[in-house]
Amino acid sequence: MAARGRLARWAAVALLVAVLVALPSVVAALPADDADVPAADLRAAVLDGADVGFSGYAVSAGGLALPVSDRLTAAADLFSDRTLMRVWWRGPDEHRVDVVAAAGETGVHRDPGGTWTWDFEAGTATRGLPASLALPAPPDLLPAALGRRLLSEATDDEVTRAGARRVAGRDALGLRVAPAEPASSVARVDVWVDPASGLPLQVEVYGEDAALPALDTRFLDLDLAVPPADVVAFTPPPDATVLTAPDTEGLIAEAGERAPDVSLPAELAGLPRRSFTGVPGAVGVYGRGVTLLAAVPVPQRLAGGLREALTASPEAVTDALGTRVAAGPLGLMLVERAGGPAYVLTGTVTLDALAEAARQLPGAAS
Amino acid sequence: MIGVELRKLFRRPRTWVTIAVLNALPVLVAVLLQLTDLAPRPGEGPPFLSAVLTNGALFPLAALAIVLPLFLPIAVAVVAGDAVAGEAQAGTLRYLLARPAGRTRLLLAKLVALMAFVLVTVLVVAAVGYVVGTTLFEAQPTGGTTSVSGTSLTQTELAGRSAMAIGYVTVSMLGVAAFGLFFSTLTDSPLAAALGALAVLVTSSLLFTLDAASPIAPYLPTRYWLAFVDLFRDPVLWRDVVRGLALQGVYVGVLLAAAWANFTTKDVTS
Repeated sequence: MAARGRLARWAAVALLVAVLVALPSVVAALPADDADVPAADLRAAVLDGADVGFSGYAVSAGGLALPVSDRLTAAADLFSDRTLMRVWWRGPDEHRVDVVAAAGETGVHRDPGGTWTWDFEAGTATRGLPASLALPAPPDLLPAALGRRLLSEATDDEVTRAGARRVAGRDALGLRVAPAEPASSVARVDVWVDPASGLPLQVEVYGEDAALPALDTRFLDLDLAVPPADVVAFTPPPDATVLTAPDTEGLIAEAGERAPDVSLPAELAGLPRRSFTGVPGAVGVYGRGVTLLAAVPVPQRLAGGLREALTASPEAVTDALGTRVAAGPLGLMLVERAGGPAYVLTGTVTLDALAEAARQLPGAAS
Repeated sequence: MIGVELRKLFRRPRTWVTIAVLNALPVLVAVLLQLTDLAPRPGEGPPFLSAVLTNGALFPLAALAIVLPLFLPIAVAVVAGDAVAGEAQAGTLRYLLARPAGRTRLLLAKLVALMAFVLVTVLVVAAVGYVVGTTLFEAQPTGGTTSVSGTSLTQTELAGRSAMAIGYVTVSMLGVAAFGLFFSTLTDSPLAAALGALAVLVTSSLLFTLDAASPIAPYLPTRYWLAFVDLFRDPVLWRDVVRGLALQGVYVGVLLAAAWANFTTKDVTS
């Protein structure tokens, strides 16, 4: 009798544990509703949705260990770490993105006049002016911003539908971009879109032959309502140290002037040259969409540090053309030759495409 | 029966010695910080410790963050492990159960006494932290306290959020107490029960740092412990706080059920 009572009690406990353990898997297995929306229409909805207001919580996880010097760790961490972001979005020039850390946070508050960057642990508030060219920052990694950017230059032939899945509690329709350029190192980009608002909810970037995405950014929570202006606005607290961000435009112009005077070709590795606002004339940008290649002539004295960083990677390939290495779908190459300028080649292209580009550079070894 | 258990716990000198020892570390940190003026660099050290130099009113939170990873769970595990196993070891469990109250009620009384211990301990750490913080460091600046998000919190808002943080840390420790109590019904050795609870916590903390364990990370008992920092963001980030409360609720529920299933059918010989 006592044994039976004991068994019954333990059975009740085991049942409770089984129900609790199974619950998350059951919820996760709930199917998403697919809708018959053509890829071109869905892509158009994403591009039209730039002004949609929303607030939410997003996570981006990257597996790209970029070979960079100490100066760019913040930008490199964005692509190699897990970044948790809270976002309040009223529009492209009025939003707030907080990078949440266990013991602090860094908030970027954008207003029409520029940005305030608040760093809790350092106690600093930094004012920056809008720049046409800047290092990658957390707002660039939001699924909404990244998805729109990656879809903006894709052609209709490159975009197909890819089913549906649940993201942040919503049914999201899949769009798959497979770049047409043979030089591209990106196998595909999957963008999961909320069909009603056109807001990308998740973006996954896959390198060639990769089962796991090199970059995965998605919303965990999302509220499709315009957030109040006072949450987005920022006034430096009285005890904060107020700083001014370095003048990016000035720095870029100066770097452009100091760059060796070379004339870059109109095409590299089969990719045509293009122009971007804010990019100095000395820098060549090639390709479109998710396949981009940048060629930058650099003075020899700056090449040493980069060579060290590149050769430190066990996967670096060094030959007569220079040193090249791939971090996931991102390729990086230092092209050096005796007596002339060195070049840095970087972009979402294969190592073979980097080598081909290196051969086409003026004055490079062939 | 609950009154008896509460009196027994709080009349023991070792309960108060445990609480006093627990306060020694934050006080030492405060004294060192005051003497050297060396705040941890950004991204290092416990939350809020860098902010304490300019605002002593934040030291209760820093004190909680200092004891939360190790000292507080050790204290709770030791007291919880002692709850039933201590009586068995001392030979008093038989006499306790001779009373007509029943085993389920004894278990509940032990749990309530443990909850009271956790709450009193957390409150004492916060109170000592406040006294030490406001004595050794500058008082609250006139412009209010700066939240983690860079907005200003009034004194009332800070007090309200600190009270919520104290409540949250208390609930976070209930999971440890439940592990200790469950193990305490399995063995006659209080030390084994306390070590069992600590082994679970060390395992959980270790797995949390491991990428390979990320699928189970949301279910680890220590996963949301530091979420009390989210109460000081503006607006408050409720996501992890709510998940932390729910997770502790599940652990307490399941472990209490297991403790009940084991204890009510156990042969008590000592």
